[in-house]
Amino acid sequence: MIGFILADLRRLWLGGAVVVLLVALATALGVAVTLQERSLRLGSARAADKFDLVIGAAGSETQLILSSIFLQAAPLPLVDGAVLTRLAADPRVAWAAPVGFGDSFAGYPIVGTTTSLVSNTTPGFAEGKMFALEGEAVLGAAVNLSVGAEIKPMHGSAETGGHTHTEIAYTVVGRLQPTGTPWDRAILVPIQAVWHVHGLGADHEEGHGEGDADAHAGEHQHADGHDHAHEDGEHHGGIDPDAPIVENFGDGLPGVPAILVKPKTIADAYRLRQEYRSGNTLGVFPGEVLTGLYATLGDAKTVLSAVAAGSQGLVAAALMLVTVIHVGQRRRQIGALRAFGAPRASVFAIVWLELFFLVALGVGIGFLLGLGAAHIGARLFTAKSGVILPVGFTGEDLRLALFLMGFAAILAAIPALLAYRQSPAAALRA
Amino acid sequence: MLSLKIDRLAVSFPGLAAPVLVVDHLDIAAGSRVALTGGSGSGKSTLINIIAGLERVQAGSVVWGEQDIADVSEGRRDRWRAANIGLVMQEFHLFPGLSALDNILLPARLSRVADADLMKRAESLFATVGLKRPGQHVETMSRGEMQRVAIARALLRSPGVIIADEPTASLDLESGEAVGDLLLSVADSTGSTLIVASHDQHLIGRLDRRLTLSGGRIVADSERKEIAA
Repeated sequence: MIGFILADLRRLWLGGAVVVLLVALATALGVAVTLQERSLRLGSARAADKFDLVIGAAGSETQLILSSIFLQAAPLPLVDGAVLTRLAADPRVAWAAPVGFGDSFAGYPIVGTTTSLVSNTTPGFAEGKMFALEGEAVLGAAVNLSVGAEIKPMHGSAETGGHTHTEIAYTVVGRLQPTGTPWDRAILVPIQAVWHVHGLGADHEEGHGEGDADAHAGEHQHADGHDHAHEDGEHHGGIDPDAPIVENFGDGLPGVPAILVKPKTIADAYRLRQEYRSGNTLGVFPGEVLTGLYATLGDAKTVLSAVAAGSQGLVAAALMLVTVIHVGQRRRQIGALRAFGAPRASVFAIVWLELFFLVALGVGIGFLLGLGAAHIGARLFTAKSGVILPVGFTGEDLRLALFLMGFAAILAAIPALLAYRQSPAAALRA
Repeated sequence: MLSLKIDRLAVSFPGLAAPVLVVDHLDIAAGSRVALTGGSGSGKSTLINIIAGLERVQAGSVVWGEQDIADVSEGRRDRWRAANIGLVMQEFHLFPGLSALDNILLPARLSRVADADLMKRAESLFATVGLKRPGQHVETMSRGEMQRVAIARALLRSPGVIIADEPTASLDLESGEAVGDLLLSVADSTGSTLIVASHDQHLIGRLDRRLTLSGGRIVADSERKEIAA
């Protein structure tokens, strides 16, 4: 029987190939949508994994998370430096680190932060060492620069028409191991340097009035590029590349866009979030914001899945048409098989197996195509955002595969039943 | 070598007022060689389909040997036909893409009865019908060769009856004669009952008995001796 089916498929290979292709494409569409959505969810959740609590100035929760965890450039209101001072001293906090952004180099965001954040959120150094001086920088794993390179930060980014701080240069001293997060694409520098580049906090060390720095901090939005008064040159501080970095965060700190906080216990996390959700500050668990985003993502996935299901339905209907016509055209052959003594069950099995084999092959190829497409999509996304999207099959996909196979089995049974019910005499007369 | 006994057979098709075939009584002795003749619409094909078990018997009885095929279900009739009837048709109904030998074995394989003995028999039959290349794909054969393959297929399970429906009609004179010779000689050597529906006067003349149908009834039944006389 298998020999007969193979001979038949060899003879009708072109039609068979088209059937396989149709099924494969329809399957791949659905599979790619599912895989891509899942990997986006997993990838973003993993990226946020290391960040328990984010505290920023009152504003959009979503923007706070997108900017601080996914390093999406956008203007953020600054949170008062005193908040950082308070958090750094809080006994419920394991560590609290400011993040300051706004500058970029060669398309990579420059993020000002602290050694404790770097050592607590990354698996360690691939080469080189942590920054120890104000003029030193550490590269994320995906930054295409080498240790020893010189970095001249650009305010804003090239796309938003930023200008270069030509008078300042960081020296790369180390490269981190990959984390699979957008931070892989970041150039990490001491927060102190970011402050000084923008003329903030410098007066702190030099003994100028602190009120001045705070006042500027309040109006300063690091990522928005132009609306603050750069032109007067007053705030264009310089960094002292050889100054050691100070991370004790005492009084009189400039404002920062966001503070990443590692609470000691879960209870502490909830208490801190509650405490910093009033007045001018906003405490957010990245997870809760992501959950909201996933709901939107889920809606989009539902729409795409419906489109995919619709295309699968169309393919199924087209296949029905083709196979019913095909069986009709082969009535005589099927009748002859019966006449020469092939049992009805064999005739049923031949027609059923032949179609089921084609559809199953199509589904199999479709899953591989979908996987490939999702991988390519994930790679493009990673190149752009740094978020590693884990693409892979789960039990849910096995269920989908079984469902499609079951559907194929029923679909194939229809022409098989037609063939089964044909009277051989009537078929031969036709 | 089965005998056939038909009683009060009537076949009608839906939508037709008159039955297309009525046979009150017909006996065919085991091992005899019978020709069926008659124009188109005479009921010849219907009679062939009925006695081959391809069509359900609606009224009357059709008994081959001990088996009344009017009584059995479609599935059992299929099995009975596969084991007892060797069918040869005007169109050979060989399956392209398979070799000649595979074509001979196909029905037996689909019925899951193709054992080593049957495979050996297929090869010897291949020689019996005068063919040489068992691996040759059927679509590359001449029509005469194709009908030989079809005859070998019909003979594979040593059927007690060989039924041929216009076996020579689609062949040229020479091939037709050779196929006629072959049918007669294999029926002789196995002792099978041979029933041939044909227009081919030369072939009909070589059979023992001739049944003539017209308008769904047997209108003449003659032995060869009488014709010769």
